[in-house]
Amino acid sequence: MRKIVAAIISITVFVILTYFFITSSAPINYTTGGQYINPITHEHSNQSVPQQYLKDSKKDTGASNVVTAIVVEYRGFDTLGEVTVLFTAATGIALLLDELKRRNVPHDEPNFIVKVGSIVVLPFIVVVGTYIFIHGHLTPGGGFPGGAVIASGFLLLLLVHTNRGLPERKLSVTESIAGMTYALIGLLGLVFAHEFLENYLPLGTFTYLFSAGIIPLIYIAIGFKVGSELGGILHNLKGVHEE
Amino acid sequence: MVSIPPVLLIAFPLFFAFLAPLINMVSKKAVKPYTLFVLLLNSLFAILLFLEVQSNSVVYEQLSGFYPPIGILLSVGYIGAILAVVINVLAMVVYISYFGDVENSVKFSMIYMLVTASSTGIVITGDLFNMFVFFEITAVGSYGLVASMRTKKAFEGAFKYIVLGSVGSSFILLGIATIYGYLKTLNFYDIAARINTMPETARLMAFIFLLIGIGVEAEIFPLNGWVPDAYEGSSNRVASFLSLGPSKAGIYAIIRLLFTLVPIMSGFTLALILGIFTLVIGELAALKQKDVKRMLAYSSIGQMGLILIAISMHSKFAFIAAVFLMVSHALAKSLLFLGTRNYDAGTLKNPWIAGPIFIGVLSIIGMPPFPGFWGKWYLMLNLAAEGLWSIILIVVFAAVVEGVYYARFLFKGTGSDARSITKSEVAAIFLLAIMLVLIGIFPQYLYTPAVKAAASLLGGGP
Amino acid sequence: MTYELLQPVFVISMALIAIGLYGVMSKKNILKIILSIGIMDTGVNILIVAMGYIPGGTAPIENGNYPVYMDPVPQALVLTAIVIGVSVTALALAVAMGYYRKTGTLELDDEGVMKW
Repeated sequence: MRKIVAAIISITVFVILTYFFITSSAPINYTTGGQYINPITHEHSNQSVPQQYLKDSKKDTGASNVVTAIVVEYRGFDTLGEVTVLFTAATGIALLLDELKRRNVPHDEPNFIVKVGSIVVLPFIVVVGTYIFIHGHLTPGGGFPGGAVIASGFLLLLLVHTNRGLPERKLSVTESIAGMTYALIGLLGLVFAHEFLENYLPLGTFTYLFSAGIIPLIYIAIGFKVGSELGGILHNLKGVHEE
Repeated sequence: MVSIPPVLLIAFPLFFAFLAPLINMVSKKAVKPYTLFVLLLNSLFAILLFLEVQSNSVVYEQLSGFYPPIGILLSVGYIGAILAVVINVLAMVVYISYFGDVENSVKFSMIYMLVTASSTGIVITGDLFNMFVFFEITAVGSYGLVASMRTKKAFEGAFKYIVLGSVGSSFILLGIATIYGYLKTLNFYDIAARINTMPETARLMAFIFLLIGIGVEAEIFPLNGWVPDAYEGSSNRVASFLSLGPSKAGIYAIIRLLFTLVPIMSGFTLALILGIFTLVIGELAALKQKDVKRMLAYSSIGQMGLILIAISMHSKFAFIAAVFLMVSHALAKSLLFLGTRNYDAGTLKNPWIAGPIFIGVLSIIGMPPFPGFWGKWYLMLNLAAEGLWSIILIVVFAAVVEGVYYARFLFKGTGSDARSITKSEVAAIFLLAIMLVLIGIFPQYLYTPAVKAAASLLGGGP
Repeated sequence: MTYELLQPVFVISMALIAIGLYGVMSKKNILKIILSIGIMDTGVNILIVAMGYIPGGTAPIENGNYPVYMDPVPQALVLTAIVIGVSVTALALAVAMGYYRKTGTLELDDEGVMKW
């Protein structure tokens, strides 16, 4: 019975949504639609928001990756919130699973290939992850993918050492310091510039590593934070006490 | 007067929550005073922000140094400032009840701070996607708080909340995608200025998507299936916190959606119908319940329905009623959830607990001179002036049902938690009761900002 | 130009959303429900990315000589949405683990699922 009702509801939703989106007349080109209005001064612009980003991001932020410029600079506050969502989830997981951790887990020898392979691969994983988050303002990627790559290295460690966890305290300290760094970089914007998260460092030479002001700093903080957070989540989900 | 950038209300608690694990490593005992200090600081910021709004009528902050809609805008109007004060001050008062308790987890305190900050974020932001992000922090934190009792019921309630919450957030994203597809912007007031260029159906669909998403958090029928289970599974203090923070933020988001984002008449009608359903179903379900926490949860749903009815009248007096009802609900429900931790009819003989509980119940069922009375009174006046007698009948019927089950609860009810009430909890419920009495006796201090909030919202502003 | 080019993408993303909804409503196994939520998230993310499609455009990373870029904003939004989806999934899995430790099963009770 429940399955029939569920099927009817989801098919209805599918039909309505598909019909709506297929017949919608939204402009496919951002140059033809959406000339914005500044809500405070009520000034009309003859451009749309994405056009403005594409035109000005080089001048405003110095980052060649426009998506990064939006994520970290123009809409940087969202990203602080995003980091916080992950942090909240990691904290919640630790809160729920702390009691359930066990000291002695059934001990199976991992596969030989996994064991030897991990020693070979692990340094490369860490290097690639670090590269991705350091070059977030120049190439696709950034703090989140880079941190996730590093966390995959942690996952490999957890798979190889079947009866051990990760150094929880060290991860937690890294996470805290990285998070505080991000918030502090933002708060310093109130001191050295005018607004929270406003850039106050020199923009440097376009497309060079040392450019784009606070963006690389923030992405390095995010990289450390995401790596240690995801590592902590994996550690908690494995449910083994450290050492 | 010092002017406080509104962003500090969010950035400071985030920073302190990131710092908390280090504090815990130094001294486990310091965590609770530390959290209380952070919440106190945030309450002070909220009050300063409220005063600033009173002198400037609206406070803008352009984050990252870009003008809106290029950058994210924080905009605090009267309604945002009122709710920011309510959320922060009450979160602090409810946190007092944790002192002297054996449970001592830094993680719990961190999530508590984060959810307070993000609920505040929802009420002060001026950007649609930013609001979505804060919604998610609130939701993820609430999932953790609900499950923190680690019983079967807690996990069940939390899981139900997670399922509905994630479906809701998918729908918020659909709404954002629809609006962005047409207008290429995410700022509330930029959307509001140009929403009429969208075709009729697109506006309606965007409204429905966003309503479904926000309705989960705001406990609107039929998306409130998680409410009774989550409240029943969580500890009394978490239930108390949920009813003052996240649910108020959800109602604020509905106000924003109805008045600013997509102000279409069919939207108000839809909200009115949903409000009536929420009210009637919530109150009738509460009448059936034997467990006190479940009964209070269903009563919360009913109150949310009443607030939604008041909002959807789209008139000044009804909106003032909604503000009073929101404040009354935040104060009285958090009081009742805290006070009924070990409730049975025998508790009534202890005046220290019975007094505040009695005040809370009186405010909820709308007896003078408590804020709940003012809320229902203004709502009735408005309904009568507009000649909507059928809705008056429904509201009166709901109030009678409410009176019946609260009377039964006072004289026969039994609590679900076996532990006895602590001194700090008594202190917290006393503070809440004093606030209820003060607002009830001096309604003009809430009335004046509420009038201005209504005027500003009806004029399409923040 | 209208959305004609994108119509297949819309159908796919809506199908994913509908499949996810069906799974959420009909399944009793916690892991299957979590998977369904993931499917739904994916559908929504595809839709948002499709909103930023520009015919003939390229990735919005400045290289000096390409005239048309994709709309960068939806990509930035999806980045955030993905991370949020991961967080929710992780927390849901933790809740599932807790539920399993308490009850010894991953199936929700009959009354636990649709008790409205």
